Amino acid sequence: MSATEPPVTCVAPAAAIRHATKERRAAWILTAPALSLMVVILLAPVVIAGLLSFTNYSLGNGSFDWVGIHNYEKLFTRSTYEKMFIATLTYVVTVVPISVGLGLGAALLINSLGRFREFYKTIYFLPVMATLLAMAIAWEFMLHPSIGMINRTLEMGCGTVLERIWPFMANSCAERFPLWLGDKRYAIWVVCFIGIWQGFGFNMVLYLAGLTSVHRELYHAAEMDGVRSAWERFRLVTWPALGPTTVFVVTITCIRAFQVFDTIEAFWPQGGGPNKSTYVMMFAIFEKGVQQNLIGIGSAITMLFLAFVMFLTLIQRWLVERKVHY
Amino acid sequence: MAELSIENIAKRFGETEVLKGISIDISDGEFVSLVGPSGCGKSTLLRIIAGLEEQSSGDIRISGQSVAGQRAADRNLSMVFQSYALYPHLSVGENIAVPLKMRRMTGLQRLPLLGNIMPGAREARGTIEQDVSHAAQILEIGHLLDRKPGQLSGGQRQRVALGRALVRNPAAFLLDEPLSNLDAKLRVQTRAEIAQLHRQLDATFIYVTHDQVEAMTMSDRIAVMMGGRILQCAAPDVVYEDPDRIEVAEFIGSPKINILPVEVSGEGRLSLLDQPLNLAVPGANRGVASLGLRPEALRLSGEGAPIHGHVVHSENLGSELYVQVEVTGLEEQVTLRTMPDRRSALTLGTPVALDFDAAKALVFDADGARLRKLRNLSATTSEVA
Ligand SMILES: Nc1ncnc2c1ncn2[C@@H]1O[C@H](COP(=O)(O)OP(=O)(O)OP(=O)(O)O)[C@@H](O)[C@H]1O
Ligand SMILES: [Mg+2]
Repeated sequence: MSATEPPVTCVAPAAAIRHATKERRAAWILTAPALSLMVVILLAPVVIAGLLSFTNYSLGNGSFDWVGIHNYEKLFTRSTYEKMFIATLTYVVTVVPISVGLGLGAALLINSLGRFREFYKTIYFLPVMATLLAMAIAWEFMLHPSIGMINRTLEMGCGTVLERIWPFMANSCAERFPLWLGDKRYAIWVVCFIGIWQGFGFNMVLYLAGLTSVHRELYHAAEMDGVRSAWERFRLVTWPALGPTTVFVVTITCIRAFQVFDTIEAFWPQGGGPNKSTYVMMFAIFEKGVQQNLIGIGSAITMLFLAFVMFLTLIQRWLVERKVHY
Repeated sequence: MAELSIENIAKRFGETEVLKGISIDISDGEFVSLVGPSGCGKSTLLRIIAGLEEQSSGDIRISGQSVAGQRAADRNLSMVFQSYALYPHLSVGENIAVPLKMRRMTGLQRLPLLGNIMPGAREARGTIEQDVSHAAQILEIGHLLDRKPGQLSGGQRQRVALGRALVRNPAAFLLDEPLSNLDAKLRVQTRAEIAQLHRQLDATFIYVTHDQVEAMTMSDRIAVMMGGRILQCAAPDVVYEDPDRIEVAEFIGSPKINILPVEVSGEGRLSLLDQPLNLAVPGANRGVASLGLRPEALRLSGEGAPIHGHVVHSENLGSELYVQVEVTGLEEQVTLRTMPDRRSALTLGTPVALDFDAAKALVFDADGARLRKLRNLSATTSEVA
């Protein structure tokens, strides 16, 4: 470089800096309404619930006391809440794998169909469209111990060979058929069954959407590579391609399972089932926070609930980023 | 390695007849290209050979054995797909290993964790690994074996797809437009690599493309397909210089052949734009015909030349110059190949007179069939150039 040449400057002129500042301010002003709405509508309620969970506040009371972690302590010591956790986890652990599995199975079967595709899709999706509350009433009828369809049907098995090969049948015929909704041994499983019945159609639709994204040429490539059985084809092509769908389906189903409420409210408006065997978290929040006006403990359960859901979502994000995006 | 014979294959999709009786014999180690315009049924034919689609009628023999009713997995053919169809969740090495694993290992040995403790699994895995690295070495992708297909460039993916095809010594390779996703430069390079690979493996290749340059440069024979039929199947230079039909002449060659409408008068003498040419087709019916002249068959001439017109466009490729000439009396322009040093004399609008080399003239009848019996009426063609 010759000495007469001016040095190259990399510094932006003052005017440009001022301009950039101005632009940044305008950007903030423009995003402010959206930001404040987000804070007020989405974040504030969570923060408030979080704060309330450390108080003994009741709606209508002018004042409240800070009680520290007292509410949380209760959650982890009282037997009612132990039952709550057991009922919720039983429900989640049963409903999620079964309804995801059934959804996947139904989607694969329907996808392999030529005709009647739309027909089956509609049928399986019907329970999803119907409100659970209305359906619960229908189920309540069917499950009625003496005039319900289910026990009537089972009664027809008495005196047949079924009685000899199925101990449940033998016992029931000798004594009586179960009070499905009144027996603490059965209540939670009935709720699980209805949850699966209602939810798997939704998973099926998600999986059907996922299946359309599987590259058809991959199946041909697999065939050329010597893949002969449907199972191998599923393992090599379909299942990996459905990875992102599966993560999404499992997360959504988990969250929905944690949120189960309407069935229990419809069957047992007071008290969460026989011996609190179906006292799930959502129902507990409703009972404590709304019916009994114990906002503090209701908020504490809510926070716990949020923590579960948050945890699931984080796992999903991690899985999606690490494992299923190629 | 094996020879393949395709006998009278027809294929219908419902009402539409896609293939109308295709027959070719492909000998062991031959490289045959199937070319033709889009939608002519090339992929369908290849997929029928592979066994991915069933023919409506006809038969396929591999090494003399009919493969009717045999599924694709049992035909021992390898295919490279247009979209490569690599398994996205498997690494490059695992992708290449799939065909070997499926054939050499039992279902139990392939199980994710349990498979490792099955008897024989270790050894099988060992030999598969060796074969994979051998294939990778041939294709120079050894350094990519641990990557996922998503992390590769188009050319690298293409080579992985080739690797998956050649790792297991198939009876023949079927390639369906494997280069169509590559950019122009990479295509030229990969073209050469595939041709080289063919020589190296000495295997039977069936190569589908709609790019005639690819077909011309790589193949032993070209089968030109159109409308579900093979119009001609011959060596590249034969297809270019001695086409059987006007469609073949038009499809092969770039820039396209010039087709001029001519009249056949008494004694088979041809006339262009009412001017008699020094060319006759003895025994041809009177009426219209077509005269095909490749750009290199035309040359600049003086007075008395049969074609007159003026320059409307020229393309200088450096080694040669293509000049578009609008001919008085004709709708279509003709293309002429000449030396780039004539460029200054051929500016836009320059009137030119064109003559042609009678030995290189191709005459087709009204149906497009080639008329081969040509007679040159002027023993001394004017050598003005
Ligand atoms: N499954 C199918 N059902 C109905 N018609 C089909 C089917 N597959 C292919 N065809 C038709 O068969 C014809 C040939 O298709 P094919 O894919 O073999 O063409 P191609 O020569 O490979 O074309 P391209 O160069 O565009 O790949 C097309 O007209 C196509 O519409
Ligand atoms: Mg094709």
